[in-house]
Amino acid sequence: MSEYKQDQVREHSFDGIQEFDNRLPNWWLWILYGSIVFAVGYWVVFETLGAVPGPNGRYALEMEAAMEAQLARMAGGGPRNESLNLMASMPEKVAEGRALFETYCVVCHADQAQGNVGPNLTDSYWIHGGQPIEIYHTVTEGVPEKGMAAWGRQLGPTRVQKVVSYVISLRNTNVAGKDPQGELYQMTVDEENAADELNSEDAGESATK
Amino acid sequence: MESANSMTQRVEYDDHVVRAFTLATTIWGAVGLLLGVIIATQLSFWQANLDTSWLQFGRLRPLHTNGAIFAWVGNMIFAGVYYSTQRLLKARMASDLLSWIHFWGWQLIIVAAAITLPMGLTQGKEYAELIWPIDIAVVVVWVVFAINFFWTLARRNERNLYVALWFYIATIVTVAVLYIVNNLQLPTSWTHSYSIFMGVQDALVQWWYGHNAVAFFLTTPVLGIMYYFLPKAAERPVYSYRLSIVHFWTLVFIYIWAGPHHLLNTALPDWAQTLGMVFSVMLWAPSWGGMLNGLLTLRGAWDKLRTDPVIKFFAVAVTFYGMATFEGPLLAIKSVNALGHYTDWIIGHVHAGTLGWNGFMTAGLLYWLVPRLWGTKLHSKRLADAHFWIGTFGILLYVSSMWISGVSQGLFWQALDAEGFLKFPDFIEGLTASHFMYQMRLVGGIAYLSGYLMLMFNVFATIRAGSPQKVTIEVAALPPTGLSFWRLIFSGPVLVSALVIGAPILLGISGVITGIVALVLLEVLVIGLVLHYGSRREERSWHDMIEAHPLAFTVLVLVAILIGGMVEIIPTVVATKDAPVQAMADTGNYDFVQRPYSPLELEGRDIYVSEGCYVCHSQMIRPFRHETLRYGEYSRLAEFIYDTPFQWGSKRTGPDLHRVGGKYANVWHYLHLNDARSTSPGSNMPRYNHLSREHVDFSHTRTKMQALRKLGVPYTNDDCEAAETTALSQAQLVIDDLSTQDVVLDPNSKMTALIAYLQRLGRGPQPIAPSLEELSQAGGH
Repeated sequence: MSEYKQDQVREHSFDGIQEFDNRLPNWWLWILYGSIVFAVGYWVVFETLGAVPGPNGRYALEMEAAMEAQLARMAGGGPRNESLNLMASMPEKVAEGRALFETYCVVCHADQAQGNVGPNLTDSYWIHGGQPIEIYHTVTEGVPEKGMAAWGRQLGPTRVQKVVSYVISLRNTNVAGKDPQGELYQMTVDEENAADELNSEDAGESATK
Repeated sequence: MESANSMTQRVEYDDHVVRAFTLATTIWGAVGLLLGVIIATQLSFWQANLDTSWLQFGRLRPLHTNGAIFAWVGNMIFAGVYYSTQRLLKARMASDLLSWIHFWGWQLIIVAAAITLPMGLTQGKEYAELIWPIDIAVVVVWVVFAINFFWTLARRNERNLYVALWFYIATIVTVAVLYIVNNLQLPTSWTHSYSIFMGVQDALVQWWYGHNAVAFFLTTPVLGIMYYFLPKAAERPVYSYRLSIVHFWTLVFIYIWAGPHHLLNTALPDWAQTLGMVFSVMLWAPSWGGMLNGLLTLRGAWDKLRTDPVIKFFAVAVTFYGMATFEGPLLAIKSVNALGHYTDWIIGHVHAGTLGWNGFMTAGLLYWLVPRLWGTKLHSKRLADAHFWIGTFGILLYVSSMWISGVSQGLFWQALDAEGFLKFPDFIEGLTASHFMYQMRLVGGIAYLSGYLMLMFNVFATIRAGSPQKVTIEVAALPPTGLSFWRLIFSGPVLVSALVIGAPILLGISGVITGIVALVLLEVLVIGLVLHYGSRREERSWHDMIEAHPLAFTVLVLVAILIGGMVEIIPTVVATKDAPVQAMADTGNYDFVQRPYSPLELEGRDIYVSEGCYVCHSQMIRPFRHETLRYGEYSRLAEFIYDTPFQWGSKRTGPDLHRVGGKYANVWHYLHLNDARSTSPGSNMPRYNHLSREHVDFSHTRTKMQALRKLGVPYTNDDCEAAETTALSQAQLVIDDLSTQDVVLDPNSKMTALIAYLQRLGRGPQPIAPSLEELSQAGGH
């Protein structure tokens, strides 16, 4: 082998194409060796030793943390009839619930909640219970065999509570639509008062406009 | 060919077929790009499909990708290969007949694809959509090409093979292996078949193919073309021969392993995902080796960058190659992929490669080659310059808008609020946020197409001004090389490589003890042989000798590409369907074990495949909290054991569908398929109202089920015989339910079958006949 020289043309050419035989740039070699070392190291850490959890392991950790956080929030008590009724008396919450309802629910329950595939929500009859907390559970867990989706995961509990507060506010407003289905639900005195209060506020607002 | 005297002979190159391929690539390029512009328009304005089933996104997108890859780049590769191979070997192609069979065969395949794909005849695997009769034609034509090429190598008048030819050899061998294995299928009719692989096996084989279609169809042959045409145009020596050797072998060996990076964070076993990731990272340097050898060859020719459009196109093409091959390893890192996968980022990435690297290499090649083939000057340099600038602008606009929309989609999807729930629960929000970027992308695409039309005009004007040239040379006969195949194969370099590659594989596959024992044995063997060969001083380097022995060279390339594929695929395919089921049994959890589809669901699934739903919808929920909140439990391996072809998808223009079954009422699906905007305002999904009018031929379902039975789906003979009755009975349930919502649907309609399939997804078998309760109620009325 003759001594190395930069930009020395090799003896043979192909169809007039000549070739130098320059050394490989050091930075390029560092990338090559570095990535090989990384690959071996990564394999050893993740696969041979299993020192770091893979996608499914990481998911378990992620879920655990989320559930811990949820638990901490629930320490103050989850939604109850009382909290949902309270929410239903707060116009901003009901308005937010209405916006969510219009995005996710109107396909089956129709624009005025008068029922389409799903039942009419404005009458006094409830298939899966008319108590606020019962409505909350129906929305969260769904009724798969009847085509009611479980919204708890996708919307999260806060949004579900807002939707429920809107639905509560619709009870007994009797919009013409699908015939009543299920059992008659008698509202409690508290609930009636809350509904009256909200409706009178609504009426007051629309009167001033 | 005739001998001028005893020592030399006259060779006339066959440039006729080169001219034919040149014209083909020029024309198909415009078609492929135009299709791209059409489907990009549809993403912004869904009405652009004119409400015609065969113009819908799901059918045209496969035509666009197949057209760009196989018609445009394919013909460009063949033009470059036929031109350069003859000159690098100082020999005419071995057989004119084979050359022409190759040319016309390939064009017929393209036409067949352009007819069948819009008809919805597809295998439903990305870049492998063509139905089986066309697949066979592709294999036959490819073999014809291979015979012609290797026959020419055998008759060469040049002792050694130049680096361009190494890349051509790698291309021809590897594409044949990939194409054949990924297209193993069992036909049920002339236009329909089932892949013999199912679920995760099919996913792995498909992406081993899909990734390497990029590697060995869009990269290696084009690198070969770069190695010939770039130094020719620059009139400068190639920067480094030893870099050619190092980056060629590392590229060819490592590329084949990287396929699983398309399946990161999916139900693919962890070890395969990790292999896909780390090999993608290792691919960075070998890829950049090609870029370096290209760019550094331009040293001393940079002044031509201002004057010569060919050099401009080559320089920018190689730069885009470097960019895309840096982005690739980056996207293959699991955590980066978690953000980028299923988004437009990937679309931007592949277009940087295709428009930048392949498209600009094609332009440079044509501007250099056409004037030479027709013996004239390029019609207009200024027009070529204009093409260069508008094309570069187009790519940059395209790629950057896809980056922005892709990253925003990823962030939209994974955003959680303070309580740890989805910040944007409605999938459509990510899509509507991308609308502006979709329009920018369209502008970029139109700019690129306009530049390409300038090229077409320039090429045709040049051809009109010239006339076909005949090129002949005098060559001296080549003395025999006197090299021994076995001595080249069982040589120091090969055995050292075997050790370096074999050791980690043995350690990875076997247990620690057996691995170490095997390693020691291998090492002793190799050291012995190295000492034996090392003691003899060779006058020529080993690589110099192997370049003079095409057979030995080809065998080594074949071995290099087979290792990765075998290590990844064989364990996955050999592990039978029982393995995931067994794993579930061990944990006592059978919830995720898939049960076979009912006849109606099976037909519905075939419609899902045929309409190309997988182009925009995935069926693979990844183990991330934001995904399981949005879509439900993450997808498990055992849930896909009877899915052929697998439909995991690679892009979410719409939401994941793996657990859509039971989420909505039948009527929701009916309304949504009729016009997605009625249930999801802002959607850009095509209208599938034609499915209500079209009918399924249930008399054929039996044949399909029997084919699946042969592939291992546990249908009984009775199941197959009763296919039609069972299907109609289940269809009746669906249409009865719909009729309560005043929707009238034919039980034979494709809509019914598709709804039944969608309702089945992600949950167990659904009722196929009315329950006793319902029957007694019906009787009571």
